Amino acid sequence: MRHPIETRAGVRRWRLCACALLVAGGLLAAARAPANEPAAAPAGELKGVDQDVQALKKQLVDLNRDLFRLEEELLYPASTQVAVFLSVDVGTFFALDSVTLTLDEKEVTSYLYTEREVQALHRGGVQKLYLGNLKAGEHEIVATFTGRGPHERDYRRGTTLKFEKAIGAKYLELRISDREAALQPQFVVRQWE
Amino acid sequence: MAAMSLARRCARLLAALSLAAAVASAAADGRDLPPPGKIRDLDYGDVLFHFFQDDYFGALVRLEVSRDLQRMDHHAAEAELLSGGLYLSLGLHEEALRIFDRLLAEPVPQSVSDRAHFYLARIGYQRGYYAEATRSLERIRAPLPGALESERRLLASNVLMAQRRFVEAAGALQAAAGDDWTPFARFNLGVALVRAGDLAEGRRWLESVGTMPVGNDEQRALRDRANLALGYSLLQSQAGDQAIAALGRVRLDGPFSNRALLGLGWAEADVRRPERAIVPWLELREGRLLDAAVQESFLAVPYAYAQLASNGQAARQYRFAVDAYAAEAGRIDESIAAIRQGGFLDAILAAAPQDAPIGWFWQLGQAPDAPHTRYLYHLLASHGFQEGLKNYRDLRLMQRGLERSRESLTAFGDMVEAREQVAEIRAPRRDEVLANTDLDALARRQAALAERVEGIAATRDVAALATETEARQWATLAKIEASLGRLPAGAQRAELAERERLLRGTLLWQLDAQYKVRLQRLGAGLRDTGAGVEEARERLARVEQAGETAPRDTSGFAGRIDALARRADDLGPRIDVVAAAQEGLLARLAVEELEAQKRRLASYAMQAQFALAALYDGATAGTTP
Repeated sequence: MRHPIETRAGVRRWRLCACALLVAGGLLAAARAPANEPAAAPAGELKGVDQDVQALKKQLVDLNRDLFRLEEELLYPASTQVAVFLSVDVGTFFALDSVTLTLDEKEVTSYLYTEREVQALHRGGVQKLYLGNLKAGEHEIVATFTGRGPHERDYRRGTTLKFEKAIGAKYLELRISDREAALQPQFVVRQWE
Repeated sequence: MAAMSLARRCARLLAALSLAAAVASAAADGRDLPPPGKIRDLDYGDVLFHFFQDDYFGALVRLEVSRDLQRMDHHAAEAELLSGGLYLSLGLHEEALRIFDRLLAEPVPQSVSDRAHFYLARIGYQRGYYAEATRSLERIRAPLPGALESERRLLASNVLMAQRRFVEAAGALQAAAGDDWTPFARFNLGVALVRAGDLAEGRRWLESVGTMPVGNDEQRALRDRANLALGYSLLQSQAGDQAIAALGRVRLDGPFSNRALLGLGWAEADVRRPERAIVPWLELREGRLLDAAVQESFLAVPYAYAQLASNGQAARQYRFAVDAYAAEAGRIDESIAAIRQGGFLDAILAAAPQDAPIGWFWQLGQAPDAPHTRYLYHLLASHGFQEGLKNYRDLRLMQRGLERSRESLTAFGDMVEAREQVAEIRAPRRDEVLANTDLDALARRQAALAERVEGIAATRDVAALATETEARQWATLAKIEASLGRLPAGAQRAELAERERLLRGTLLWQLDAQYKVRLQRLGAGLRDTGAGVEEARERLARVEQAGETAPRDTSGFAGRIDALARRADDLGPRIDVVAAAQEGLLARLAVEELEAQKRRLASYAMQAQFALAALYDGATAGTTP
């Protein structure tokens, strides 16, 4: 006599195999509509909610855009605005840890970098390090960089620039680059028109 | 294996799933962008700084602001392309489509149009518009930059597979050998071919992935998955030994171990080795009953004992299974009740990484073991549920972001109000100063003084520059001179006159000696007062101007703040409504899934009882099954 379960199991077994194959195989091949969808999704309802979410997201992007703009115009009007950016060009000889920024002998920001931010800088991103206000006239900016220099040694270097602030926004760029000939990093402050 | 928690296994399964989704439905991400080269607009660099950190929302907001303020004109086309990709990343397909279409309607560099076509192809594929996706792919004229090119090849093969053009898909994959994504595509193709009935060819592709060298967890998970699919495909063809070889390659501590152990047992049973089949099944039965493979093992173990003619053991194991299924069904009922009470999505999200940014790629890291989340790993493996959960999480993040926006707006409102108050306090004083300041009169006095000094200089009137003492002495001498005129002539008068002349001469000499210095000092003083008058005039003009512009500026800001606050207030309740709808929908899906699981358990329990009854029947009849 055959075991009663065997016949049922035989059928069920291959159903199981087919099912498991779909489960195993469907993960990638049907990424848009997985074969192991656990319950019948009310597609229309899902889509409706999804559309509502997308509409809300768009409105939130717009709201934040307008808020961002208002904040800048309110707190940093163009007539007094000064923005300091930081960029890295190649940066083989220097691994940035932190930067301290002084404007007219007053420390305005001190920034410690995460690995993720450093990577973003190396890939071509430019950080808006400081946004503030200055009256028209002559000013001095001093940036002090710390990190790891050539031969993995602690490295601290400053750079300074005297600049004239006129009526209108002033953009300054702190740029870290490589001085190939000397195998040393180079730090400069550059004015943008 | 039992030591490995289910949650961890689920997490790994989900990690593998998220990768799969990334392959098939990735939107823009950091890899998509070539090195930007020389940055000509710092604000564009700032957008990239956020983009490269996967902060898509922050990047998009900055991009829109800088574009509106025309601060990125040198990168206009790239920025437009990036904004389309960012909208895509946030799941806003319609907006992304609109941007790409607009971009392609304009003359743009080929590198930009190629990427726009790529994104359009990706959207087309995601939506199932394969012909459109194919057309967009055909319009790409040159290799795409960086990792995007291998993604393009993968997308091309996926589109071909979706159209069941397997031979061409295989050709595309052969051409893409070496790409990072090729193993995923080979797996896709293998599964698609098996499903289409071309078992030999499908298994060949799966075998190639299942035996590939691996260097990271993603590749290990993919290799496991390929071996699992291959093993079950071979089992289906009753090729037990080959299935054992494939399933044996699946790691015991990987996300697919349970299913592999189950299959391994069936493969051993297939080649009539129940004594070996029982080993993986017993191992599997140590796992938690949440897993379908573990549930199955509760039936498989007594089946193997029966095959080994150990009927007493088989009967005990069937009873054990019946009890376990009943207990599990009770736990499922608890979960259903908990989910119906609400809040289950928040419990799931509490287990998610807190710093994950808003966006399309967010995936759940692990499923918490609580009554309302215990059984949800099946749901979390479903694309629809994941999308719904991401939406819910995005909505919660949006609500928090909105709250911060409201706080900012309140602060800005206070600031503007304070400015207005200061302006009001200062206004009367300003008006008083303006009213009492007659700068023209001052200027006239200055001019008169200058004219007088000029006259003194022209006539060299040294006495005009005398000090007070000298002037008094000068007047005294004048009086003496007049008195002398009234004296009778004589020696005494002559002597007095001589003394008066000497004194006058001495005083005149002193005045003359000081004249030049005094004139210069006076001139300098006049110039200073002239400059002072001019400066006062400028200051007064600024005070007047401030009085005119300050109230207008603050009221302008106040209006904008009010409008933004109204928009924020409008969005808040709408977010809550949609979040509640989303939660309700997912709760329904979850309950349906749990009820399906209960039905499956009931079916297993019934099979166990039938088997038990058959064993008893056999025992009563004295037969051996």
